[in-house]
Amino acid sequence: MNLAVDAPPVTPVTPINPDRTARALRRLRWRLTVNTVRAVLHGSRLRLSMILGCSLVFWVGLFVLFLGGFEFIGLNDEFFHSIFEYLFSMFFLSILVMLFFSSGIITYSGLFQSREGTYLLSMPATPDRIFAYKFFEGVGLSSWGFFLLGSPLMVAYGLTIHAPALFYAMFLIYLAMFVLLAGSLGSIAAILVANVFPRRQRSVLALAVIVTIGVGAALGSRLWKTPGEALSADWLGNLQNRLAFCQHPLWPSRWMSAGLLAAARGQWQRTGYYLMVLSAHAALAYLAAAAVARDLMYRGYNLIQGGRTSRRRWGLQALDDVFHRVFFFLPRPIRLLLLKDLRTFRRDPAQWSQFFIFFGLLAFYFLNIPRLGYAVQSPTWRNLVSFLNLAVTALILSTFTSRFIFPLLSLEGRNFWVLGLLPVERSQILWGKFAFSVGISLGATLALVFLSDLMLDMSPLMIALHLAMVVVLCTGLSGISVGLGARLPNLRETDPSRIAVGFGGTLNLLVSLVFIFAVVTALALPCHLYYLGVENPESSRMALSHAGFRFWLGAAMAMGLLIGAAGTILPLRIGIKAFERMEF
Amino acid sequence: MIELLGATKRFGAKCAVDRLDLEVRPGELFAFLGPNGAGKTTSIKMICGLLSPSAGEARVGGRPSSSPEARRLVGYVPDQPYLYDKLTGREFLRFVVEMHDIESRRGERRILELIDTFEMGDFIDELCESYSQGMKQRVVFASALVHDPRALVVDEPLVGLDPRSARIVKDLFVSQARAGCAVLMSTHLLSIAEELADRIGIVDHGRMLAVGGLAELRERMQHEGPLEDLFLKLTSDSRPGTRAAANGVAP
Ligand SMILES: Nc1ncnc2c1ncn2[C@@H]1O[C@H](COP(=O)(O)OP(=O)(O)O)[C@@H](O)[C@H]1O
Ligand SMILES: [Mg+2]
Repeated sequence: MNLAVDAPPVTPVTPINPDRTARALRRLRWRLTVNTVRAVLHGSRLRLSMILGCSLVFWVGLFVLFLGGFEFIGLNDEFFHSIFEYLFSMFFLSILVMLFFSSGIITYSGLFQSREGTYLLSMPATPDRIFAYKFFEGVGLSSWGFFLLGSPLMVAYGLTIHAPALFYAMFLIYLAMFVLLAGSLGSIAAILVANVFPRRQRSVLALAVIVTIGVGAALGSRLWKTPGEALSADWLGNLQNRLAFCQHPLWPSRWMSAGLLAAARGQWQRTGYYLMVLSAHAALAYLAAAAVARDLMYRGYNLIQGGRTSRRRWGLQALDDVFHRVFFFLPRPIRLLLLKDLRTFRRDPAQWSQFFIFFGLLAFYFLNIPRLGYAVQSPTWRNLVSFLNLAVTALILSTFTSRFIFPLLSLEGRNFWVLGLLPVERSQILWGKFAFSVGISLGATLALVFLSDLMLDMSPLMIALHLAMVVVLCTGLSGISVGLGARLPNLRETDPSRIAVGFGGTLNLLVSLVFIFAVVTALALPCHLYYLGVENPESSRMALSHAGFRFWLGAAMAMGLLIGAAGTILPLRIGIKAFERMEF
Repeated sequence: MIELLGATKRFGAKCAVDRLDLEVRPGELFAFLGPNGAGKTTSIKMICGLLSPSAGEARVGGRPSSSPEARRLVGYVPDQPYLYDKLTGREFLRFVVEMHDIESRRGERRILELIDTFEMGDFIDELCESYSQGMKQRVVFASALVHDPRALVVDEPLVGLDPRSARIVKDLFVSQARAGCAVLMSTHLLSIAEELADRIGIVDHGRMLAVGGLAELRERMQHEGPLEDLFLKLTSDSRPGTRAAANGVAP
């Protein structure tokens, strides 16, 4: 049958006014915002005040830090002033890079991978309107973090050099333009990646991030090694030379810093000039982004939708058998659940790549410890560094448990009809997750801390102590993430990263940080004081004698174990209780 | 009104839809029948302009389906509909009205009508996040109809609807078709196709195996009895490995 011959006439359609769709989308955004704010205000006050409180503490902390720093170096010195121009350029350049990536990622997932994106594409709006709608959402989200980071700096700076009030207003305008520029560039990159590498977006991103980190690290180490006595005129001159690259007149960050510094000194002509340069480029970039979206967004969406692999996955039966044999003492359903989690872990590159990148970087740093010269330093130093390394390992582990372990139960909740019907008690499911988390984290962290201690040439006793601390930290962090994950589940969200950045995830991260801090300081303190005493026996009265050290170390170990036990058992109990009562 | 001309969609090496021809005329209720994974959703997404065919063409009202004009003609209910959690049902419908550039007073009247038809008065002013599956489904149906589409495309209707809502939706299909709308619904449920459709297209493995009215299909296949047997016969024939089993070699 050939339908083309008797094709029916084209059905007339009254053309749609694109401004109407744009307005509809703007109203949609507005209503969504209003409804969300209303829900937040009517919802849990605790949550709201916690979020506001944390932001405030963060802001004030940064502000005090910057203010103190500025007063310390004394901004009124003309020479320092020029250095500041460099430092600000550097700061905004790094912000530019971060905004580029964050808005690129947000645009990519919002347009091409979200269900809202699909829905909007089925509506009679032109792609550039849809792009505009999603773009401002993404840019709003990413500029919020920038504002939180940049405004204390700017306010502290303005206060120290007694800037006119208009400076602060200028900061907001500059910020808006800067974000628009960086966001547009990021979105253009995202749409191009979708079109050129529709199946490789993760590799492209990983490569870009690695290159960026590499370049950043190279620059950082160059700056770090600036020759000369710190803060001497010579040193500052050299530093300036090494920072010269960020003063290139074509960097948007340069326009930003030059304009803002001019505003702070009341040089309005210069301020206006840089504002015009910046806003013209921002507008052009946005226009280009909209044009790219108009022509390529739909194509990119198609390429990505067609790109889902239907590759067959192998179960690796042999591995499963080994697993069953090694963990024969666990009940079989628990073993099966663990296997399921392991398999998910294995097939989700986001999880293990993050795991390997972070722990790989740490291992790299630890391996280079001898070259950094810590080993030849005093025992006090080495002791301090060893505890710092331990703390850093734990911190990275805590981000990992918050990002991946915490959402596990929320995700299970969606599939609870499977778990709920299994012949296991609910508490066992939680214990299974706990074992999974401990098992995954313990191996890596033990190896890392052992490596760090070896490189620092620590005594066997200290190594044993550190390894024991790692065990305590791993169980504690796992207990916290599993317990809180069960107590504060988010059953709506399917995306684990969004669960992790929600209220529960943030709280989980905070509790984890407090826990690490408590355990590490409890043990680091007596050790530090002891080594102080060993080094210069008469000078410090705070130092511990050998006998005192034994006593205090014992006390600290008991304390650490206690904190560890509390940090493991308490959250798990809370979680189990909540989980057993939970209705799905 | 709705046309697929040799439409093909490949996902990598996999051919999800294979040279499919299809036409749904105004006033016709067409049931797109096939087992899971047959390529129904993929075809429908091509008709709605969400996927572009790897080869061939998808047209609505004589226009390429990815054009905004074609989208104005289509009312689409996807298999996994999307609603904004933080909007109320009424706000969502208003959004759709505005997107379709319908004059607001007329739109408002239409929304009231639809609230009435789908009996949504009780919950329409609550946030969508609190809706049950069936409530969501009804809002989505209403949103596909606010702009009086000339072509209604529904992917797996009746999933998650209680019998009463299912009745409403079925009646609606029929009345839309009688009012001159081209209705295309995909389903794996034989009974619905049998009950409602003017014409039935049976697909499997991305190919159209047979098209026609129920009587016509039966006659062509020289087959008596319920549609189910016909369906099983057709779809098992298209699977080379199972032919023997379907022909009764197996016990
Ligand atoms: N985005 C995609 N990427 C890869 N394969 C897909 C994609 N969408 C569907 N498929 C495959 O195409 C085939 C047809 O799917 P679909 O149209 O959803 O079937 P139906 O709706 O008839 O159940 C299936 O085998 C499915 O696995
Ligand atoms: Mg389907």
